[in-house]
Amino acid sequence: MIARSLLKGLVGAAFLVGATLSAHAADTLAAVKEAGTLKVGTETAFAPFDFIDAGDHAGLNVDLFAEIGKELGVKIEWVALPWDGVFPALEAGKFDVVAGPATITKKRMERYRFTPPIAEATIAILKKAGDTTISKPDDIAGKTIGVGKATSQLDQLKEFSATLPSKVDIREYPAFTESYADLAAGRIAGVANSLPNIAFVAKQREGTFEVVLPPFGKKSYFGFIGLKDADHAPLMDAIDAALLKIKADGRMAELQKKWFGATFETPDAVKDPAF
Amino acid sequence: MSIKLFELLLYASIYTVLISVVSILIGFAIAIFLSGMLLSRKAIFVVPAQIFISFFRGVPLLVQLLLIYNMLPAIGLNVPSIVAAIIGLSLCTAAYQAENMRGGFASVPVGLVESAEMVGLTPGQIFRRIKAPIALRLTFPALVNEAILILKASSLVSVVGVVELTRMAQDLAGSTFLPLQIFAAAGLIYLAINWLVALAGGLIERSLPGLPR
Repeated sequence: MIARSLLKGLVGAAFLVGATLSAHAADTLAAVKEAGTLKVGTETAFAPFDFIDAGDHAGLNVDLFAEIGKELGVKIEWVALPWDGVFPALEAGKFDVVAGPATITKKRMERYRFTPPIAEATIAILKKAGDTTISKPDDIAGKTIGVGKATSQLDQLKEFSATLPSKVDIREYPAFTESYADLAAGRIAGVANSLPNIAFVAKQREGTFEVVLPPFGKKSYFGFIGLKDADHAPLMDAIDAALLKIKADGRMAELQKKWFGATFETPDAVKDPAF
Repeated sequence: MSIKLFELLLYASIYTVLISVVSILIGFAIAIFLSGMLLSRKAIFVVPAQIFISFFRGVPLLVQLLLIYNMLPAIGLNVPSIVAAIIGLSLCTAAYQAENMRGGFASVPVGLVESAEMVGLTPGQIFRRIKAPIALRLTFPALVNEAILILKASSLVSVVGVVELTRMAQDLAGSTFLPLQIFAAAGLIYLAINWLVALAGGLIERSLPGLPR
């Protein structure tokens, strides 16, 4: 009897907390516009999308969100976390959207909502310049390859490794920047990351790194990430619309050219990702 | 390594110092209450204080920070990164400082307290003039120790999004590919700050009233 009324009380309290929380979170677009700032979560170790360039936060994310901010009429406030802490913090309401960007995958789409793609994410291998033992992706069989922890690049590398005659010795890093440092130091034979990222790194450090072409695995794309619930729908719709406008009037291609040296053909939406 | 990079590290170390100093002071205030509760000999005070201390000493600071940052919003308290960092460090250091203080108060010679009672001092006077100064004198080296530990532990707060010295060093090492120089510089800055803390601690300790012989 006591247990039952206690349970009732607890359920009631839970509903009350839930009600105040959802009342608080209702219509995030209105809340963002009222506050005048869009909070964006990211990690600052994913060049050329997001990195610290001699102390200044720079990259495609920064430029693209500046344009999104203009479209929505709000300022952008950045919150930088380690990558494996970004999604828990998004769900805890620490920011409204995640810049990342993240590869659009089936598993992530079950839980999160993606914006239209902003770049291609198909992965390739970065090796040390002059390393003749790796000339095509298959050559990484049996070698030690670095990759970021909690990334889709890790999943893609694992899948690729399973198709090889001898498994790849996969080493996971908190951030890709640390795997590049280990590659330069000769502790690993290569790094598996999306082509735009490693092409940028190889260009920055010509003579140290080289990209192994072609990219392997299935074609995939990068998008920004938000929450799926009804409260976040108006905000995500507005960001989607802003991005499509930025893409349509050529600003996106201009920024891709600036950061990757090339533009990408990307679909307006990814409904059925390859992974 | 250029001057610009060193300046950025110095700038980030302001956050390290700020967060640590604020946390140590808040932690000190909380620790006074906690040690009072521990010494009260009443279960209603002692037990909650013991639970608090066993939690904040028993759970890794990294986990505490993630809990504070990601769990508080579930009860409607969405604190910014820097506040979450200060709450985490303060509560953690409070638990350690409270145990130090309890030890300090327990080490005040009983004879001194009895003599004070004999000459007619009130309990309040005994606390202010006998117990507190002696306990402070006894625990001061441990307090300086704790301050240095917290300064170094503040490198963990980057997990909740505060860009302090260590995080800045990681970011710069990642974008400049000069890890050796940058981490060496960061290490030297930590060393310099902690040397200053130890020096100030030594000076203050010497100015405290001496122990009776």
